[in-house]
Amino acid sequence: MQTKDPDQKAGGASTEGKKSLSLFQLRLRRFRRLKRGYYSFLLLLGLYILSFFLPFLMNNRALVVRYNGTYYFPALASYLHETFGYYERLGFFKDTVLSPQTFGIDSVLARTDYRKLQTDFAARGGDDFVLMPPIPYHPNEQFLDLGENPPNAPSRLHLMGTDDRGRDVFVRLAYGFRISMTFALIVTVISYLIGTLVGACLGYFGGWLDLIGLRLVEIWGAIPFLYTVIILCSLLEPSFLLLTLILSAFGWLGICYYIRGEFYREKSRDYVGAAIATGERDTTIIARYILPNALTPIIAFAPFAIVANILALVGLDFLGFGLPAPTPSWGELIGQGKANIREWHLVVFPLLVMFFTLQLVVFIGEAVREAFDPKVFSRLR
Amino acid sequence: MGAYFIRRFLLIIPTFIGVTMIAFFITRMVPGGPLDRAIMQFRMGAAMEGGADIAGAGGGQIPEAALQELKRAFDLDKPWYAAYALWLGKLARLDLGNSYQYREPVAGLVADRLPVSMYFGLLGFTLAYLICIPLGIVKALKHGSRFDFVSSAIVFVGYSIPGWAMGALLLVLFAGGQFYAWFPLGGFRSSAYDDLPAMVRQWEDIDQVSDEFGTFQWDQMSLRSRVIDQVHHTVLPVFCYMLGSFASLTVLMKNSLMENLGKDFVRTAFAKGLSPRRVVYLHTLRNSLIPIATGLGHALGVLMAGSYLIEYVFNIDGIGYLGYTAIVGRDYTVVMGILSINILLLLVGNIFSDMLYAMIDPRIRFE
Repeated sequence: MQTKDPDQKAGGASTEGKKSLSLFQLRLRRFRRLKRGYYSFLLLLGLYILSFFLPFLMNNRALVVRYNGTYYFPALASYLHETFGYYERLGFFKDTVLSPQTFGIDSVLARTDYRKLQTDFAARGGDDFVLMPPIPYHPNEQFLDLGENPPNAPSRLHLMGTDDRGRDVFVRLAYGFRISMTFALIVTVISYLIGTLVGACLGYFGGWLDLIGLRLVEIWGAIPFLYTVIILCSLLEPSFLLLTLILSAFGWLGICYYIRGEFYREKSRDYVGAAIATGERDTTIIARYILPNALTPIIAFAPFAIVANILALVGLDFLGFGLPAPTPSWGELIGQGKANIREWHLVVFPLLVMFFTLQLVVFIGEAVREAFDPKVFSRLR
Repeated sequence: MGAYFIRRFLLIIPTFIGVTMIAFFITRMVPGGPLDRAIMQFRMGAAMEGGADIAGAGGGQIPEAALQELKRAFDLDKPWYAAYALWLGKLARLDLGNSYQYREPVAGLVADRLPVSMYFGLLGFTLAYLICIPLGIVKALKHGSRFDFVSSAIVFVGYSIPGWAMGALLLVLFAGGQFYAWFPLGGFRSSAYDDLPAMVRQWEDIDQVSDEFGTFQWDQMSLRSRVIDQVHHTVLPVFCYMLGSFASLTVLMKNSLMENLGKDFVRTAFAKGLSPRRVVYLHTLRNSLIPIATGLGHALGVLMAGSYLIEYVFNIDGIGYLGYTAIVGRDYTVVMGILSINILLLLVGNIFSDMLYAMIDPRIRFE
């Protein structure tokens, strides 16, 4: 890039890295000025970081328990029911014939029900207390005591209702956000790496490698994606890792075609010819000379790749070939909504959350594209 | 350039063979194939008929001769490449084989469903172009206006919510969920008298539109009833089909026109004193339509294949749904049949698209 930057100080080869940095800074400044995209980015980033603290925000394990003067942190460690004195308080002694079930607990050795503990402590008064997360439900916890069979419509206890196994929809959507975003980010990065590598080699070396390589890429791209996913998921245990690999294995083709085209075009430019003439190695020319020029448009395209990957995961989950069963997932909820057509909350809320998330990503994408490639549409009228 | 396209057409052959070979290889490697299913059926049949004595005598083993017979029927007695060559040879004679599930020729199954998929595909495709091109033009001419802003919001919805997901929402809202029951739950047409819209039921007598066994005959209804019933089943799915290409098409049209409006030849045209209308519609628009028109080639595949997700949501028995059930049910002859048709359409569509490109834009030269 030969554009003069006012911030740029005069210098020789040592400012090589600085030069590209300042171009990046220029773009960053332009990106910040596009308010809609910039605030979308901040909001999405904030939500994503927040989602890693979900076990402390939405969980059925208490954050802090004070019992007999001692503090416990159940969100970080597991405690059994008897830790908090269920033996003595309920008048249950080891030598009686009474069983814990008599007192409405499954087992004294069961995991503590902190919501119950909270009401018990509150009823008893005293210094003991239980501090629950803002939403005291676990994504895989089933609520079957809501009066009617699940799915249950939204209520004060469960703002977005419960799904067909009685799990809280809002909590599952929140956990699903983290999974969808992480999944899409990983798949995008992997497919970009593969696509850039293969595309660069095909475009730079050309010739027979290009002809045969392109044929192989075309063959790979023509194999229906769903077909392979379903077949592979029946062979191997479907998991987050497997799905990531499969989607990456299919996601790099578009990037590969694009990078190949760019390299093909750039290769005939004078600066590449000069680099070859000065005896630079192929790897250097590919990575240091051409790649920075070819990479810009596909980086600007990355947010849209993320949208596509989220949608692919949602689609697979919807059909039932996605992440394994208890994983919180948007697509699975929409699938439940399709099966229970009278339960509007199973379709409307997942779609709203999905729409909101993807919209943020699209806004970011628009802004990034504009920052990277500011097209001024000058017109007469 | 003729030589270029001939070479492109010839290159279809290795690609086609490559894809089908990999797909065929996968079908042979995966458990749960037709042989396993046949064995399971045999066991279940034996358990039903023979009861205790056969089950007691070792769990209903298939006799060795029958097993060989079954293997021969599915070409499993040969190595996979030999079976593939056999399949390819049959394909060259346009024989796609028989479906395991339906016990019918695959070609017939596909031919039955093709009109259904094409009906929805073609309609959605045409409507998308009819709406998106004018919308894109208006948005480009009024760039930055309130109309541009508001319509952008709608376009964004189309981009963030895929057609099939919107389909699920539409079913909940308008197809007898908790809200309105304006439209049926799905299907291509009504398959029973009771499914007909109330208005049509008033016109049609149940005895008139049923055969002697009391089975509903759609074709015997009056033209008016048939049209209404068909439209009734069409609205929601076609909307979803449209949504898929709505956003990208509108934005493409808008950007393409805006880009051209800033070019020198437009300035010249204005400078000559032409009317704005003439400049936009005669000079600029023609150039801006080039990227839109080249998309027509790719649409070929989409049209024929249908969308398995939308067909799945609306229970439309089209090609996409057939392919989906075939994959799930391991009906490999059907899978391979649909796969080969789709690949051919995809490859031909790509070339077709490049040809269109070269035809519309004389500056483009393929060598």
